[in-house]
Parts: sequence; C-alpha cells; structure tokens
Amino acid sequence: MIEVSGLSKSYGELNALSNVTFTVQKGQIVGFLGANGAGKSTTMDILCGCIGADSGTANIAGFDITDSPLEAKKRLGYLPDVAPLHLDMLVGDYIAYAAELRKIERSTIKARVDATIEKLTLGDVRNRVIGNLSKGFRQRVGLAQALVHDPEVLILDEPTEGLDPTQISEIRKLIRSLAGQHTILLSSHILSEVQNTCDKIIIINKGKIVTQGTYAELASSMESGHIYRLKVARNGLSALTTLGRLGLQNIKAAENAILGSSEDIEFEVNTATGDQILDDVAKAVIDGGFGLRGLTLKTKSLEDVFLQLTK
Amino acid sequence: MGGIFAIGRRDFKAYFSSPRAPAIFWFFLLFMGFFFNNFVHMFMQMTTQAPMMGGQAPTLEQLLKALFNNVHFIFLLIVPAVTMTSFSEEKHSKSFRLLQTAPCTALEIVLGKFIASVGVMALVLAASFVYPLFTILNGNPDKVMILSSYIGLFLLMSSQLAFGLWVSSMTSNQFLAFLFTMFGLFLLLILNWMAPNLGGGGITETILKYMASSDHLDSFFKGTISVGHATYFIVFTGMFLFFTNVTLDSQRWR
Repeated sequence: MIEVSGLSKSYGELNALSNVTFTVQKGQIVGFLGANGAGKSTTMDILCGCIGADSGTANIAGFDITDSPLEAKKRLGYLPDVAPLHLDMLVGDYIAYAAELRKIERSTIKARVDATIEKLTLGDVRNRVIGNLSKGFRQRVGLAQALVHDPEVLILDEPTEGLDPTQISEIRKLIRSLAGQHTILLSSHILSEVQNTCDKIIIINKGKIVTQGTYAELASSMESGHIYRLKVARNGLSALTTLGRLGLQNIKAAENAILGSSEDIEFEVNTATGDQILDDVAKAVIDGGFGLRGLTLKTKSLEDVFLQLTK
Repeated sequence: MGGIFAIGRRDFKAYFSSPRAPAIFWFFLLFMGFFFNNFVHMFMQMTTQAPMMGGQAPTLEQLLKALFNNVHFIFLLIVPAVTMTSFSEEKHSKSFRLLQTAPCTALEIVLGKFIASVGVMALVLAASFVYPLFTILNGNPDKVMILSSYIGLFLLMSSQLAFGLWVSSMTSNQFLAFLFTMFGLFLLLILNWMAPNLGGGGITETILKYMASSDHLDSFFKGTISVGHATYFIVFTGMFLFFTNVTLDSQRWR
C-alpha cells in the first residue's frame, strides 16, 4: 500500500535521508520510530508530496507521488506534526472544507462530515471555533481532516505529541480502531507508543533505516541472550560471586537494588547455552543457602532495543 | 477545478471572520472621506472664486479624478494588507499543509487565493462608490467617466493583488510580505516620474514609462476604455499569477 524505495534527500550539506526503503502492507499499522531529527518528518513530507526527494520513489496505493500526485493525494490522509488548522473556523465548517479540498463528490460531503464527526466524537464541539478548543480536541480535529475522505493510507506524524496521558490513551485507542480500514504509518519518538499500537516497527536513525520488523522480531534479533532476574533471601553479595563461577555473563545487582541489603541480581544467559544453566543457578543458590525467592525472565523493552540500535 | 471555489470561499470568509476586513474598510473609508471632504471644500472655493478671477471653474470630473488618484495611492497600503495573509500567514501557522496535501494543483490554489482577495478588494472598491454617488446626487458628473474609472481601478487592483500574492508566496513572514509588496507597488506608481532620470531618454525611458501603472490608469480616468491599456493590466495580472504558480511548484523541490 505504501512502497518507498531508495529515498534520499539532503538540505545543503546535511543529509536528511539516505536510501530509505520500506513497504507497508494493506491494513497494517506501522510505527516509524526515531529520535528527534532522525528524518521521520522529512520522510512523511516526501510521502505526502509536500516536498520532493532528491532521488528514489514513493508510491501510495499504486500511484507515484511525483508522477501522479493528484491521484496519490486523493488516497492519502496526512496529519503533520503541527495540525494544519484554521483557528478562526468552526469545527464543522473546517471538516467540510477539508472534504471539499479532497474532491469528495458534492452530494456525499455532508454525510462524510457527519460520519467523521461521529467517529471522532466531535459532536459536542461541532459549532465551536477551533482556536478555542483544547489541544486534545484540536488534535482530533486534525485527525478528522485526515480521515474525512476515507483515505486508504493514513500518515500521522507524532499524533500524541504534547497531549496529556488521558488524551494520549484516547488518541491511541482511536488509531487502533482505525486499523484494518486504513493502512497507517505513524511516527513517534516515544517507544511505548509504537510498541502498543503498531504491527510493525521501522527504526530510523540519522536518515538511515536501522532495522524493521515486528516488535517480537526486533526484540529477539537484538537479543544475544535472555536476561533473568534472581531474588535471594540473604547474602546477595556472596551469591554474586558464587554465580560468577557458573560462566554467566553480565552478572550484576539489579538496578534499584542496594548490594548487601536487598538481594536482587540480574544476569544474562547466552541463548546457545540453553536453559539447562537455570537449573545450575537454582542449585547453586539452594546449595549456598542463599534462599531462592524468585527467578524470572526479564523481557527486553523496546527501549533497550532502540538504545542499542541508535548508539 | 472545484478546489478554486472551495479555497476562494474559505479565504473570503476568513477575511470577515477576523478583524482584518473590517480594519481595511475602516482605514480606507476614513482616509477617502478625509480626502473627499477636503476636495469638495476646495472645489466649492474655486467654483466661487474662479469667475471673479476670470478663470475657468473646475469640473466635477477633475474632482473625481483627484479622488480616484487617491484610491490608487491608498491601495498601496491596503493591497499588501490583504495579500500578506494569503500565503504568508498560512505558511507561518502551518495550515498551508492542508492545501499542499490536498489533491489540488498549484494553479487551483493560486486562483482560489486570487479570487478571494479580488472579492474582498472589489467590496472595498464598491464601498468607495459613496463619494461619486455624492457628486451624482448633487451635480451632474460624466457617468461614463465614472464607469471607465471604476473599470480601470478594478484592473489596477487585480494586477496589484497578483503582485502581492507572488510576494506573499515567497515568504512565511507577513511583515516582509507587506513591506515588499508595498515597496514594489510604490515603485510602479512612481516609475514614470523616475523614468527620465533612470532611462536618460530613448528606448529605456519608453519601456520604464510603459511599465508604470499610472499612465495606463490615466486613460481610464479620462473616460476612455482602451484595449491597449486594459491589456497592460491583464498581462500584468496573468504574469504575476503565473509567477506565483511557479513559486509554489518550485517550493516542493526544496
């Protein structure tokens, strides 16, 4: 549905994008993850035809954005990082104006506007001036603008930026509910956001795509081994030395544990070694009389993956 | 092409849903009223004095011509105020993205903005009719002259707006858009006074004089509608609308 290949763009000396290639399948929600200035907005601006690329092609729903921009744009809804709102307009008028610009058939405009307002629960503010709305509502009006023509492809640039936690969860729920009907490309620099909402994740750093895949794929590809968390009843410090003899990697006191008092230990097991080692760990703890209280697998968060990749 | 009217309608309404249009009308009518009042007083004075001095009494057409020349002058301030919002404001507030991502051609956007600003300024021009109306009610001015003057002013206004749109499309700074538009229009107004100094006679002077707006307008103020002078304004308008279109298109590739 979205096909991007070999996209490059430079602003003078600065290489904003180099050879960016990815595809988004129909109905997927794909997260575009990167730090500020990584090239997310540039990529999205190119995809939406706001700026041109130096080289490479971008294809939206079968139409090249450079060769047939009008056809591509008809099938595209875009919410930029700053919602493109006319603050002096009424919510309803603004959405109708966006519908008109998208060349929806005149007779269906009213029905489309009503449906969009209902979908985004904007009914209460329909006759209010956009400039008087809260940030959360403005963002929803921005989303309405991108959705009013029922586009096949939806591109959202940091849709939850600057919202409060309640609004963030509302917008997220909304985006999730749109999955299936629309193909969605969503950018964010907040990891938990894409982890929770997206089917596939593309990580971009300094204008290059670092890796892409599902969250599970990314997490497992980044793992050289599993991290376990061990809890003992007493003598954490000597437990550490005992474990050291078992050939484990990265043995350390867990963060937020004070050695000698609290007895949390983290260690990493190489996947090649197999789970057999866990039996040995348990045995060593019991034999040493440290008192086994817990042994759990600690899943790597996307944050770990992300930090590792963009180092 | 439906985009033209959608954009035009929205922009036109936007002038009136903000204090912009009211401020423009207020400014325009206040200054025009001030000048008109002065002119009428002067006219009355000269009418009573002229026979005594053995001179010719001034005509109403002369009064109106002075007034219409003033419209030209006040437009130098009003037209930039109208066009500075067209692109610069939208670019500054980032709402221009809505137009950039809509399936509309650059030409549709340019023409949409153009008809909106022409609409606003046409109303301003219509409001100025109270002064000629005053002379019609109290005297017997040449109505053909009034009509041709208004056609001339309308053409002038369209060309000024096209120029303003072009300047506005190049910057996201409203102040710069205002300043450069005003400067450019002022230059066109005084070009025929400056031409002898700049051109030093010959073909350069002729070209410079042709480029000036005031000479072309004068023919309309005399009560004649000449195709040649109308063409100047129409070509001028078309050219700057084309430039605006090119500017918008080229911005995609930066």
